Amino acid sequence: MRKQDFNRIAEYVWEIPTSYRDDMNVPARLYASERLLEAVLGEDDKSVEQLVNTATLPGLAGYALAMPDIHQGYGFPIGGVIAPRVEDGVISPGGVGYDINCGVRVLASRIHYEEAAPYLSDLATALYRNCPSGVGKGGSLQISKSDFVDLLHDGAQWALRNGYALPEDIERTEENGRLAGADVSHVSSRAMSRGIEQVGTLGAGNHFIEVDMIDEVFDEQAADAMGLAPGNLVVQIHSGSRGFGHQVCTDYVREFQSAAQKYGIHLPDRQLICAPFQSPEGQAYFGAMNAAANYAFVNRQVLAYHIRRSFEEVLAGKVDDWHLHQVYDIAHNMAKRETHVVNGETVEVVVHRKGATRAFGPGFEGLPPEYRPIGQPVLVPGSMGTASWILVGTEGSMAQTFGSSCHGAGRVMSRREAKRSVHGGTLRTELEQEGIHVRAGSMSGLAEEAPQAYKDVDEVVKTVSGAGIARKVARLVPVAVIKG
Amino acid sequence: MSDQPWEEIEHSADWALRVRGEDLRALYENAARGMIALAGGEADPDQPAVSHDFALSAPDAETLLIDWLTELVYLIEDKSLVISDIRVARIENFSLEATVRGTPGGHFSKHIKAVTYHGLEIIRRDDGYEATIVFDV
Repeated sequence: MRKQDFNRIAEYVWEIPTSYRDDMNVPARLYASERLLEAVLGEDDKSVEQLVNTATLPGLAGYALAMPDIHQGYGFPIGGVIAPRVEDGVISPGGVGYDINCGVRVLASRIHYEEAAPYLSDLATALYRNCPSGVGKGGSLQISKSDFVDLLHDGAQWALRNGYALPEDIERTEENGRLAGADVSHVSSRAMSRGIEQVGTLGAGNHFIEVDMIDEVFDEQAADAMGLAPGNLVVQIHSGSRGFGHQVCTDYVREFQSAAQKYGIHLPDRQLICAPFQSPEGQAYFGAMNAAANYAFVNRQVLAYHIRRSFEEVLAGKVDDWHLHQVYDIAHNMAKRETHVVNGETVEVVVHRKGATRAFGPGFEGLPPEYRPIGQPVLVPGSMGTASWILVGTEGSMAQTFGSSCHGAGRVMSRREAKRSVHGGTLRTELEQEGIHVRAGSMSGLAEEAPQAYKDVDEVVKTVSGAGIARKVARLVPVAVIKG
Repeated sequence: MSDQPWEEIEHSADWALRVRGEDLRALYENAARGMIALAGGEADPDQPAVSHDFALSAPDAETLLIDWLTELVYLIEDKSLVISDIRVARIENFSLEATVRGTPGGHFSKHIKAVTYHGLEIIRRDDGYEATIVFDV
């Protein structure tokens, strides 16, 4: 792939026409600054080819898209967005990926950094102790099988009934933390077994809890609506559906191998495996995927409960108000049935966002009343030790990208190279010297997630903001990081 | 063929292993050994060892390889099984019989979410077989 294979549509929009490859059904569009584009055109980088591969799927509306945090995945690129039509399009378990409804939740406080600074080390220790993390660790909840079925069906409502959520948390969660189409009858016993003991656990890899300070506010009205003020602390949670979602995806990627043949779908990569959305196979996966999505909403909600306990434990009586209120919770690995206007026509589509965030603009009825005038919050974690962002969706994202925006910084360095060039212990010392408290279960895991393994998140945000598919609200800088 | 029958290769977001074997049986065994080495298990010395037997069939060789490794991913996560011994007894017509031995209740330094089909192809070489496997981590 070379730069001349792209047509520059706008300052931050690059198009690969269908003439690039015979099997493309729609053009592909990449949102990137010139610098970010050049960074993904290296010989060993397969991410743009992966974007082109997604443009070959049947029944697509508009374009196959990629956000500026694009990087190489398996099947879809991370940062990929497609919208197959409900009528004649597909649903792809390989496209959604293994960590179904991996996402981000942000909780905000009225605690000023200066007020909390003497206690941040204790806070990091309490968060690490109270929020189970690491590989395959059991959670803090004992759940019966029938209660687990209710959890998968009811999502965040289950958490509310069981005392892990506040009513206002639910209103400030994508889909109110519950997808109605969850169908547990299409979930395997293996997925049930992997998932039942992991509710309320962070996991390992790139998942984390981070305490940040609000560094700068760019939009006063939106920041006020979200309860964000400069100098105050916020918490980010990045986790997903744990072993439950991994098994649901594993089961359906396997099962769909024969479905694709049955429906005569030809794919450039077997991991893009899919079936018609309206087929029995497609609907079975959609039901199981929605159950996994509900699991993930509960998982982040229970983690939020443990985080609030930790704040109370360490800061009650020491700061004026230790409470945390939810800003929002969003998914970034999902396939969702939505209505969009494409080329002037209203179409029902199944928007696949793989490492991309829903970013609905002002006026969207699914938002709580205080967010309707400003648009949906878009939560963009940076790499460990660098900035993160809170943005809002715009009219531009609705018009250009099926209401989608970026989800993070995006990797540039392989895990192998990161381990080779970064020493986990040294990195931890460097972060501590910058005033960032680190609690991590694995030093090599820490090295793999080093900031230098990621793109510059500020450049990514500059791009989505410049392209008009999100608007800046606040920039966050880390003060404590908890990793498995 | 180098002495080490597997090597980690560059992949920006996940893990990729290039695995070799003098025959298919060795390829499947070495793929499992390479994956287990990446997971970095540490056994609980107080736990007794257990055995698990497998009989798997698939429509093609690549799917059989994924099914086989996926069985082990499940055991690692669901039983926290630190696998110490792998024997593929028979492999023909996309069917496999194997036994693994290990200790449950262990700890792991890396989490393998799943084994992917991405770019997977078992290639015949002069000195045996080779496959590159991408794991979601």
